[in-house]
Amino acid sequence: MTTVQERPPASESKPRTITRRRGRITVGGALVYFASFFLALLWLVPFLWALSTSFKTETEASLGQPIHWIPEDWSIEGYRVLFERGDHLTWMINSTVVSTIVTVLTLALCVLAAYGFSRLDFPGKKVIYGVILAGIMVPPQALIIPLFDVVSALRMVDTYWGLALPQVVAPVMIFILKRFFDAIPRDYEEAARLDGANHLRVLWSVILPLSGPILAAVGIFTFIGSWNNFLWPLLVGNDPSIMTLPVGLGVVAGGYGLLYAQNMAAAILGALPLLIVFMLFQKQIVKGVAGVGLSR
Amino acid sequence: MTTDTETPAAAPPAAPPPAQTASRAPKRRSWLGLWFVLPFTAVYAVFMVWPMLLGLYYSFTDKSLTGRPVEWIGLANWSEAFGDAAAWDSLWNTAWFTILSTPPLVILGLAFALLAHRARKMGWFLRLSFFAPFVIPVSVVTMIWIWMYQPDGGLINHYLGEWGLGGDRLWIFQEDSMGPIVATTVWWTMGFNFLLYLAALQTIPGEVYEAADIDGANGFQKLWGITLPLLGRTTALVITLQLIASLRIFDQYYLMAGGGMNLSPEHVAIQYIYNAGFTGLRVGYASALSYILFVFILVVALVQFRLLSRKED
Amino acid sequence: MTNNPPPPGAVTRRGLLTGATAAAGLGLAGCGSASEAFSGETTVKQWNLLAGSDGAIMTSMHDQFTAETGIGLQATTFAWGTPFYTKLVMGASGGNAADVATIHLSRLGSLSPDTLLDSIGLDELTDAGLNPEDFPSSIWERCFADDRLYAVPIDTHALVNFYNRTICEQAGVLNPDGTLLETHGVEEYFDLLRAVKDVTGEYGTSLDTNAGWRQFWAWYRQQDGEWIFHEDGYELDDDKALVAIETMWRMADEGLCPRIADGAQCAANFENGAGGLVQVGNWEITRFRAFDEAQGLDFSITEMPDFFGNRRTQGDCHSYALPRHNAWDEEVRAATVEYISWMLQHSFEWGAGAGHTPAYLPVTESEEYQSLQPNAEYSGVVENVQFDPDVWFSGSAARLAVDVAQTLVGVYSGATTPEQALDTIKTQAQTLVDLPNPVD
Repeated sequence: MTTVQERPPASESKPRTITRRRGRITVGGALVYFASFFLALLWLVPFLWALSTSFKTETEASLGQPIHWIPEDWSIEGYRVLFERGDHLTWMINSTVVSTIVTVLTLALCVLAAYGFSRLDFPGKKVIYGVILAGIMVPPQALIIPLFDVVSALRMVDTYWGLALPQVVAPVMIFILKRFFDAIPRDYEEAARLDGANHLRVLWSVILPLSGPILAAVGIFTFIGSWNNFLWPLLVGNDPSIMTLPVGLGVVAGGYGLLYAQNMAAAILGALPLLIVFMLFQKQIVKGVAGVGLSR
Repeated sequence: MTTDTETPAAAPPAAPPPAQTASRAPKRRSWLGLWFVLPFTAVYAVFMVWPMLLGLYYSFTDKSLTGRPVEWIGLANWSEAFGDAAAWDSLWNTAWFTILSTPPLVILGLAFALLAHRARKMGWFLRLSFFAPFVIPVSVVTMIWIWMYQPDGGLINHYLGEWGLGGDRLWIFQEDSMGPIVATTVWWTMGFNFLLYLAALQTIPGEVYEAADIDGANGFQKLWGITLPLLGRTTALVITLQLIASLRIFDQYYLMAGGGMNLSPEHVAIQYIYNAGFTGLRVGYASALSYILFVFILVVALVQFRLLSRKED
Repeated sequence: MTNNPPPPGAVTRRGLLTGATAAAGLGLAGCGSASEAFSGETTVKQWNLLAGSDGAIMTSMHDQFTAETGIGLQATTFAWGTPFYTKLVMGASGGNAADVATIHLSRLGSLSPDTLLDSIGLDELTDAGLNPEDFPSSIWERCFADDRLYAVPIDTHALVNFYNRTICEQAGVLNPDGTLLETHGVEEYFDLLRAVKDVTGEYGTSLDTNAGWRQFWAWYRQQDGEWIFHEDGYELDDDKALVAIETMWRMADEGLCPRIADGAQCAANFENGAGGLVQVGNWEITRFRAFDEAQGLDFSITEMPDFFGNRRTQGDCHSYALPRHNAWDEEVRAATVEYISWMLQHSFEWGAGAGHTPAYLPVTESEEYQSLQPNAEYSGVVENVQFDPDVWFSGSAARLAVDVAQTLVGVYSGATTPEQALDTIKTQAQTLVDLPNPVD
């Protein structure tokens, strides 16, 4: 029955996606095909329903019954009000700023540290690495109470730094990067070292170019994680002008009552940015994850 | 030990590395490495280590968010926490949420990845539809689902009613909102597991199947005999990540239940801590609760780590 | 010196745009008072919980305020209730929250005014044109803690009874002058609801089943029920509480009100005619007026019906309070007090637009306000309003009200019997009593 039970050795070469021979369309194949299609469509239903509601008038939206998917009376009122209020845009900018700071800092600090742990020997290395690894076990959510106090004492409440810095503490990234760096053959560096390059230079011109996919994957997931982070920004961003998108949408009310169409317009606009990013880069994202061996 | 801060330009290896793989090349012990790890370590110390110590201290005090003077009250918070039925309920809800949400998230992730991996022309559509919810902010997700869960005139009740399945469920607006929140979570985060599986599937070389084709294996046999075993390590990873993620449940509960006057009164652990500390002002008590949650998660993580690592041997 | 410079990303300010949006057609009386000399830079940060349709009235008043005084205003509405108060406390504990916030007067004690709020000097108020005599003394006294003034009352608001004239006329429950028949006792009112239900085919009255605390407290207080808390317990009149809860149970059981309806659904039921009446806060007037403009809805407002011999109702006062500041910029402080004063002096609009009864006597006592409709029809609520019990975990959206309301959801939905609900409520109350007090 089976011919291969062992996992094939991870090859250095790029994994090939093999197009299997599928001569004829079988009944089973067609069934799977349609099942996939309907599942995917079903999965989109919440989104489509939100989209449909967002283009209704408030009255039509709140009426509920009977359900109809195509608005009887197309209206962009919900979107218009949102744009007029403008805080949506503020939150989107805040989210972008915070997620960018978090991603850049995480990459910079974690790459430096992972390189240090992988390639250099220094006093206290084992202890520090141990303490950092132990941090993987600590769920940041269990720390919110004292963490808020610390950030508050540092007068960082309602600042970008207060939002971003605690999110940079991602020990698991150090672990992933160090493991990857460890696996890079040292021969590559020798040449550079012989040419007189110091460690920073080796890191920059030898290690990093070899780490493209893993950095992309770490970066992408750090960015998505930060963009969608809710709990921490909820705690530390009290002033609406500093709130990120998820928090602003979650806690700031419209001031115009509970309006479903407007609510759904806000939902659609809130979903769009990363959705567009994903649509543009979906192939690369899948490849990044595969290349990194995150799933090996 | 040396105190050089500069590494000599050329450090010829004392002996060639035994293989191509990374090996213990001799390294010179110097302070230089410390500079590399210092930035991260500093941030880590301030925002992880220090809060942990501070939280421990607060758990023995009556520290209040109001900022009134702090008083040492010994074990009072701890004994209250151990006797707080609502706190244990919330911890149990967290565990129950994890138990309910993990299997569908892993199984659907795998199933959908298998479908999307097969599909060719439709692939982009499947990838988009299955993964897209994962990149949507949680508050958007809950806004949409609360809207669908409306008991009166909501989308879900409407169709259930239409198909004769009884369109009068109260969903998140009743005592037990666990089921609906699990459903919402599955929709929202399944995409991540889907992606991990999809990526893993793409690394399986096609030759693996060719031998099976020659043997005349059918699709199901290939799936059961080849694909699934090859995905074993991925599954271990997915389960690990999923457990960690599920145990941290807060966002959906905060936004959909127990969030105020309107919805179901249920809580999960982090929400209970949040309410105790930030809404109820009792920072000291909330710190004690945090430590209990922390130990709980640690135990689950260790047990699970042992189970999975044994499996890999 | 300002302690909190605006973050670089804050590109827009709310509420300074046309603002005519939801407030369209409200017919704001243009009061032309002299503008103060504030430099264009001063901005007051205001936080509020007016997530109901009264928020639209506030917003349009803000626009007018900015236009008249030149003071910038950055107002934010948070989700009503716990989310707002949590944000307020966390912001105030950080010392750089809003300059001014709207709070419920019943919550003043639970906000630890001593450490989380800044007190307001009487001289500051007088300088801005407000005098203690301008407020009803019963309310004014509630604004103090430790003899320091921490709040300035804006209004009294309460649960009232809206009725759809078209439906009620068909049901034959209107007086010749078009007002709702006055009923006495539960049975009479239920008869009225039955008549209305026959017309609508769905409910008699709509109400917010998630906010059952309000009904409970109103009907319990109508029976002279008291709920007094002390150090290790409380006194609740079980029989009267049970009667109040049973009234909810029966109302839902007979289909005279919805089994489940959140704030939005509750209002929608009234708009689309599923219910001929709606028992809800006076603030929904704005929403129903907007609906009237769009689709037609002939309605008026009367007081809480007499269930148990009087027309007492649950309510509270919105008030301005100053969250604690690490440091005040003198100009911002002055602008903040000016803002409070301006809003009160213009609170005629607050009453006319949002249905609240202004606390500022020069407004309420004016002839213009006295003849205002439908406000005059329910002006009695100010006498009948019942504040929540006085204890640190009580007040609008505080633990007691939230916990009780959550229990009562089950009574409306039919899942919890009145006896069970009362038991739960009593246990909940004892749990709250047993909590260490984090405030003082």
